[in-house]
Amino acid sequence: MSTFLVSVGVGLATAAILALSAVAFTLEYAVSRVANFAHGEFLTIGAYVAYSGQTIFHQNVAAAALLAAVAGMLAGLLLNVSLIERFRGRSAITVFIATLGAALIVENVLTMIYGAANRSYSFVQGGEHHVGPFLWTTSEIEVIISALAVAGLLYLLLQNTRFGKAIRAVSQDRTLAQVSGIPARRIVMQTWALAGAVSGFAGFVLADTIGTFGPTLGFSFLLLTITATVAGGIGRPYATLGGALIVGMVIQIAGTYTSSAYQLVYAFGLLVLLMLFRPNGVFVGRSATAVRA
Amino acid sequence: MYWVSVVTEAGIFAILALGLDVIWGWGGNFDLAFYGYLALGSYMTFVFSIGKPTNSSTEYIIGWHLPVLLSMLLAVVIVVGLAAIIGAIALRNLRDIYFAITTLAAVYALYLLVANYTPLFDGFNGVYGLINPGQAALRLTYNGYRIVLLVVVLVILMLAYLVVQRLSGSPFGRMLRAVREDERAAAAYGRKVFTAKYRAYLFGAAFAGLAGGLFAIFISAFNPSAWTPQELLIIYAAILIGGRGNPRGVIVGVFVVYIGLIELTRYLPSPASRPDFSPALRQVLIGLLIILMLKFRPAGIFRERPGVDPEQSPSLAQPLPTVAPVAEVTADDGGAE
Repeated sequence: MSTFLVSVGVGLATAAILALSAVAFTLEYAVSRVANFAHGEFLTIGAYVAYSGQTIFHQNVAAAALLAAVAGMLAGLLLNVSLIERFRGRSAITVFIATLGAALIVENVLTMIYGAANRSYSFVQGGEHHVGPFLWTTSEIEVIISALAVAGLLYLLLQNTRFGKAIRAVSQDRTLAQVSGIPARRIVMQTWALAGAVSGFAGFVLADTIGTFGPTLGFSFLLLTITATVAGGIGRPYATLGGALIVGMVIQIAGTYTSSAYQLVYAFGLLVLLMLFRPNGVFVGRSATAVRA
Repeated sequence: MYWVSVVTEAGIFAILALGLDVIWGWGGNFDLAFYGYLALGSYMTFVFSIGKPTNSSTEYIIGWHLPVLLSMLLAVVIVVGLAAIIGAIALRNLRDIYFAITTLAAVYALYLLVANYTPLFDGFNGVYGLINPGQAALRLTYNGYRIVLLVVVLVILMLAYLVVQRLSGSPFGRMLRAVREDERAAAAYGRKVFTAKYRAYLFGAAFAGLAGGLFAIFISAFNPSAWTPQELLIIYAAILIGGRGNPRGVIVGVFVVYIGLIELTRYLPSPASRPDFSPALRQVLIGLLIILMLKFRPAGIFRERPGVDPEQSPSLAQPLPTVAPVAEVTADDGGAE
């Protein structure tokens, strides 16, 4: 078993979680034209609520995952109603700073409740399995399968349902969608709820995969999410999956051959490079904030 | 002595905020790397002045025994050098959110590098040892020294304020605001947009480097826990409250936010079992302040007063009122979505 293939295997697990988070981030952007800095907090909330729930539901992984998704959904709804909609019409950077404030609030409310010390789940990680050329633990396999399943469901939802069609219409032009009889406000709310639910679930599987987590879990993962989103193209849910794959691989493989402490350094270096050399190419250039005004 | 220390710290942050206001308030660039410049200024002041590591378990670069003032000066030069690199990369092509995220990625990468790569500044242990430099030479008691330090900080703050205030009304200050309001219009009138922003960025970073040097003397130790990227948000909150673009407002904002928050949370009951409770509550309040100010009073307490050309004659100033509203409308349009 070569080191390379092991790190590719772990990279795939990382990429699967990253894909969920990045698709949710890009959905938020698509309907509200907001780079939501509080997105990472949906993941943190999911992780902590699952932590509180694991004792109640007697180590039932599925129940904990569901609980995380519900908590994330509520957080998404709340942020949309109490902040994003109220800042509608303000400049993109103003809303961005406001979500930064929201992220600060959530992270520290969680610190006040749970303390700053790291927590960890007591779920069983399972043994290691050889799957093809890769070596995965049971929970890593569960992560990859569930992430693929959620991504597949999202694809069907966006592509084949009236709701998905409405989301695409609203993301093209909210006013025009409204005029055409689509209840834009409700669609936007539902999209945020959906994005929150996906993020909450992602937060749970992320915390479970890492092993320990603290109140800054989501913030650290947010920059990775943004990197994946930028790599794929913000506002384009399917391309984001490819972006997540690139970022997951880069940090795992580069981290394996140097030191894992520098994994994030590579990711952020990649982000800076992407911003510089592929900004218009990877961002869909419709937004008013498009680079090179 | 408690108040001496609180006011000194607020004064140092006010200097930092004045620099940040030039970049964000005037130039309109939401820079998230800024606190990294304070950190680098602090680190460099240490390694230039405290000498080689005394025991084998600590390590850091340089380790010279320069006079403190010279160390601070060199630190500012190095900080401006780093800002010259980051600014040259980020300011040329990126705007608004893209600029903010890129600077955040850059500072976070720097943070992780400093925290994990020990030969640089001894990783998480950080550097220390600059304890009241010059106390013996000045023949001061410990308390006397802290008071002198406070006076020095306030004098530097006053000087910084005068410089910034003068710059605010200068052609440069007005050009920067024109660039912020409408880059294309400013470019159409022959202003060099990138150069204007870049100079403002280096100018602001120099203030951060200076504040870092003062901070080094003030706290005598510096390690990664002192500069998590979140620390910068309190400065942004202060600028928002005082009044973005108004130097006097910015200083008032820092003192109000900084001292207000510390005092407010100091008298709140803090559960003994939860040492994280009070600091977390402070951060929650900062987050709330940022959102509420943005929502209800984005101009802050003291509105920005754009510089007026002192040489402009009344007859020339006449057509302005008819032009100004139009300019404002386009600026609003450009800002929304």
